[in-house]
Formats: sequence, structure tokens, C-alpha cells
Amino acid sequence: MTVFIIRRLLQTIPVLLGVILVVFIIMQFVPGDPAVLLAGDGATAETVARIRHQLGLDQPVLVQYVQYVGHVLQGDLGISIRSQLPVMKEIMTRLPITIELAIASIFITIILGMLAGIISATKQYSASDFSIMILALLGVSLPSFCLGLMLMYFFSVKMHLFPVTGWGTWKHMVLPAITLGASGAAIVARMTRSSMLDVIRQDYIRTAKAKGLKPNIIVYKHALKNALIPVITVVGLQFGILLGGTVLVESVFAINGLGRLIVEAIRMRDLPVVQGGVLVASIIFVLVNLGVDILYRSFNKRISLD
Amino acid sequence: MLKQQQNEPVLEVRNLQTHFFTDEGVSKAVNGVDFVLHKGETLGLVGESGSGKSITSLSILQLIASPPGRIVGGEVLFKGKDLVKATDKDMRAIRGNQISVIFQEPMTSLNPVYTVGEQIAEVLRLHQNLGRKEAWAKAVDMLRLVGIPSPEKRAKQEPFQLSGGMRQRVMIAIAMACNPEVLIADEPTTALDVTIQAQILELMKELQQQLGMSIMIITHDLGVVSETCDRVAVMYAGKIVEQLSADQLFTDAKHPYTQGLINSLPRLDQEQEELQAIQGHVPSPYQMPAGCAFAPRCPHAGDICHTAMPELLQHDTDHEVRCWIYTPEWQGNDSTMMKAGNAS
Repeated sequence: MTVFIIRRLLQTIPVLLGVILVVFIIMQFVPGDPAVLLAGDGATAETVARIRHQLGLDQPVLVQYVQYVGHVLQGDLGISIRSQLPVMKEIMTRLPITIELAIASIFITIILGMLAGIISATKQYSASDFSIMILALLGVSLPSFCLGLMLMYFFSVKMHLFPVTGWGTWKHMVLPAITLGASGAAIVARMTRSSMLDVIRQDYIRTAKAKGLKPNIIVYKHALKNALIPVITVVGLQFGILLGGTVLVESVFAINGLGRLIVEAIRMRDLPVVQGGVLVASIIFVLVNLGVDILYRSFNKRISLD
Repeated sequence: MLKQQQNEPVLEVRNLQTHFFTDEGVSKAVNGVDFVLHKGETLGLVGESGSGKSITSLSILQLIASPPGRIVGGEVLFKGKDLVKATDKDMRAIRGNQISVIFQEPMTSLNPVYTVGEQIAEVLRLHQNLGRKEAWAKAVDMLRLVGIPSPEKRAKQEPFQLSGGMRQRVMIAIAMACNPEVLIADEPTTALDVTIQAQILELMKELQQQLGMSIMIITHDLGVVSETCDRVAVMYAGKIVEQLSADQLFTDAKHPYTQGLINSLPRLDQEQEELQAIQGHVPSPYQMPAGCAFAPRCPHAGDICHTAMPELLQHDTDHEVRCWIYTPEWQGNDSTMMKAGNAS
């Protein structure tokens, strides 16, 4: 197992280098000159040229890339053009908020999705199965900004149960987490249901019944652990989608997280912040995938070490 | 010994009827099955695929998937108690404890995500209230008992690390762990290769002698029957058509279906161009013929066979047969049949 984890950790290094390259290339193709934007309206050509030189934007692309990688490896993501603060510092003040939001959302995705899926599968074709599957269909189909605005309207504006925007207490967390977790929960519910239905027809479930075990033990011990194997993969993928979703949800609920930072930076052509933000989000995604792989293997030891 | 066994029935199945209610109609998979399993004996339940053998065994333990299946009639008396009427809780106390079952597919019958030791220990903790450590120790003992080398190491392995024969031994260890009074073995060797088959059957016999339980072996393999069973019940289309001692099976089978099964075996002592198959197919359980279910395939069938189902009648001591030929009503053209039956 330790060998497996070390090997997987080493494998993430080329992935991360690739991520840095892709982020860098994308930023090269973004229209607009950051030096012009930074200099402001009516700046002279000399000022723009001086700023461009300060930022190193007058260097050949390859040189810029090598310098960038070198800095990244030292934990230096550059200076924000807009705030003149180190990008690392900007990200680190925003990141915890986004991580809180993401964890709350993935929690909703997993708990709600799996419970709904299990109920659906064990009571196949019942009224609860149908209602859960209809809700799941809605959850998958409804765009998160739409769901977010609806929740905000009913629960905050009309019923005053939760604050409309902002971040701080658990009450602030409820609606954004539901908004962000809903589609994942719907997908996990559908996946858990089909996986459970497949598993409860297996011979080893019949063996478990023939042992005289109680129905709950059969479902939650013997069936669930097998049924979760494909679900774990889906949850891992959902986490990536969820990270992307924070951009929208943070904007809807005016939460000062990483997603909103990136959106603002894109609007301002604040290249170092965009690069840094995307890079940090990518690293988180790669690490989550690593975690999923390790979890996956501990659930299913048939997966070989290689 | 046989006489003594007769006095102590452990499991009595009376007129058991298990039907499946599907969109295509009602499938009468088990349609009035009667047999008795005595203490310490081995009964073989024989028949083609689709004759209702496995459904019978699942019905005994109330493991029929419902819906679509349901036991619509009959009794399953275990030590005098009717299991058909037993509550779920009572059934759970019996399953894996007093009546155990070994299934046909050792490759898929063990849970892939738990170690085999855990899977044996689980049943011990459930029925014998053993603690975690005691149950594990006994699980290792059980693995040793079923002849698995280095059981301490094997107990910690997952099923995928074991061969098919090993897995079937593990299934036997699970079934035997609580020292059951009845072991139902549903085609225990069908999925295994021949050398392993013999080992598994030998193991079951040994354990039966050590622990004194009754075994019901479900099989379509007459070789397995002759090797292991005391008595044989032959099933056809959801009914028992003949019951006799295993010794008589090859010499004194009376029912045309049983005779057909025996004649279809390859013979080493005769030169055979072709194997003699029984003509036709098992009737669909959705559409049973009006009279004897075997009549459409029977070379001796007379008029009465197509109109009414004969009773299971005592033919001899320890020998029952369900066939019009052996009844006083028989007026068929085929008086040679009885001789043929005796001769074969």
C-alpha cells in the first residue's frame, strides 16, 4: 500500500508540470495586453513599455515560461497586477473559504446522494424510488446558478431563514453548499441506485441471506461496500466539476472565495492571479484524484499495485 | 442403519408449491414436491436444468425472491416446525445455523471485499455469540478442518486470491461453522474440475461422519449421486417422479424418465455409436401438459398419461414411483415396460 501511494505521488509530478504548461499557454492566447490595462487610459507608449518590461512580458515566450516554472517551484506565483500583493497571499486568504464550501458541498453530494440511492435501490419501483429519481433528474438538469437564485429567493428573501449573501457562519454555508452539491448528489444517487441494484442480485448477497444475516446488515455491510466502488470514481470526478462550480456559486452568493477571485482577475486581465488561481485549483484536483485512487484501492484490493 | 434413520426425519417437505408470478404468466417451478430427509443420511435430488431442484432448496430456507416468487402451498417441516409459516426472525435463526447451504458458484458466492476469515467469523459471531477474537480463531480452525493449507495466512486473504476449489472449501467452512443439522448442497461440484470435484465430495462425506448431519445434494450428475447418496429423489417439471435408494438407481429405476436419464449416460462396458438422449424438452413451467408432465416425451405413454397426473405410489420398500404403468389402472399396450425397467 505504501509503495502504491509513493508511486502515485511520483506520478502526479509530470501531471502538475503539464498543468503549469497548459495554464501558461492558455494565458498567452487570452486577448488583451495586461500592460495596457495596468497603465490605464491615456498612458503613454513609454509607460506601457516600461510596465511591460517590469512584468517581463517583453521577453521571448519560452524564457517567460522557464522563469514562471522556476518561480512556481519556489512557491512564488508573482505579484497581482491589480492589488500589487503577492498572488500566493491573495489566494491563501481566499482558498480556505472555497475549501469550506467545497467540503460542505461534497458532504451533501455524498451523504444525500448515497442515502437517496440506497433507498431507491432497496425499494425499487416504490413511490419513494420514483420521487427520488424525479428529484435526481431535476438536480442533474437544473443549472446551479438557477437553483442558487431560486433557493436564495425562497429561503432568504421570502422566508428569512438564511442570509442572502456573504460568508462566516454555518447559516451562510447552507444554501451555497446545497446549490453546489445538488447536481453531484443527483448523479451519485443515480449511480448508487444502479450499482446497488446490480450488487443485490449477486450470488454473494444470496450467501449473506443464507447465513441468516439481518436485511440491514446485508444492505449496509455486504452490498454497500461493493456498490461504492464505482460510486467513488463518480464522486472523484464530481469534485472536479464542483471546483469549477464554485466560480458560479461564489458569484451568485457573493462569497469571496477562490472562484470569485479568479473571475475578477479574468475581468481585470490580472494574469498572475488567474494563472495562480487555476494552478492551485488544478493541484487540488490532482490531489483529490490521488485520494480517490487510494480510497478506491482500499475498497477493492483486486486493483493491482502497478 | 437405514431402518434407524427412517425413524428420525429431520426435514419433511410436503406438497411444496413455489410459483413465480410474472408478466408472462404463472410459472409453477415447484409444483407439489414431497420428500423426507432423515438424520444422518444423504439424499440426492436429481433432475435436468429447470426441473425445480434449486427452487426447492431455496424454498426450504425461504430464500425465494419475492416478488416474483411465492410459496403458494405445502409445508416444510424442520424438526416438526413448519418453516413456510415461520417469521423472518425465526428463519434468520435457522439459516446458516441449523440449516446451511452451499451454492453452485464458488467463484461468485463469496463477498469479494471481505477476507474469507471475516466471512466465516461473521456467521459464528451471529449464531454463536462469539467475540471477535474467538470467532476469528474458530474461523481459522474451520479452514483447517476443510483442508486448506496454512489457514492462518489464508484467512486474511480475499476471495480473489483463492482458487475455485479453495473457495468452495471456504463456502463449506461457512456452511459447517455452526454445526448445522441439515446441509443443502446445490450443485456443489458443478463449477469445479473433476479432480477437485472428488476432493470436495470426499470432504463433505468426512465432515458428515464427524459431525453427524443430514445432507441434501442437488445435482444433475448421476455420478455424484452414486458416489455420495443413500437415497435419490428424481425431479421432473416441479414434481418428484421417483424415490429410491442410491444402490437401486442404476439397477432398478422404474420411472421412464429415470430410466431415460440412466440410459443417456455413456457406457464403458458397451460399444455405443451414439448416446441415447431423451427426446424432446422439459415443458415450459408456464404451460404444463394436462396429465403426466413427462408424457409428451415418454416412449410408453398411453391415453391416461395425457389426461391425469399419477400419484407418487409405493412400489417397494424405500421405492416410490409416479407413473401410471405401475398402477392397477394401467391398460396400456406396453406390458414389456415393467420387464424393461427391471432389466435395465
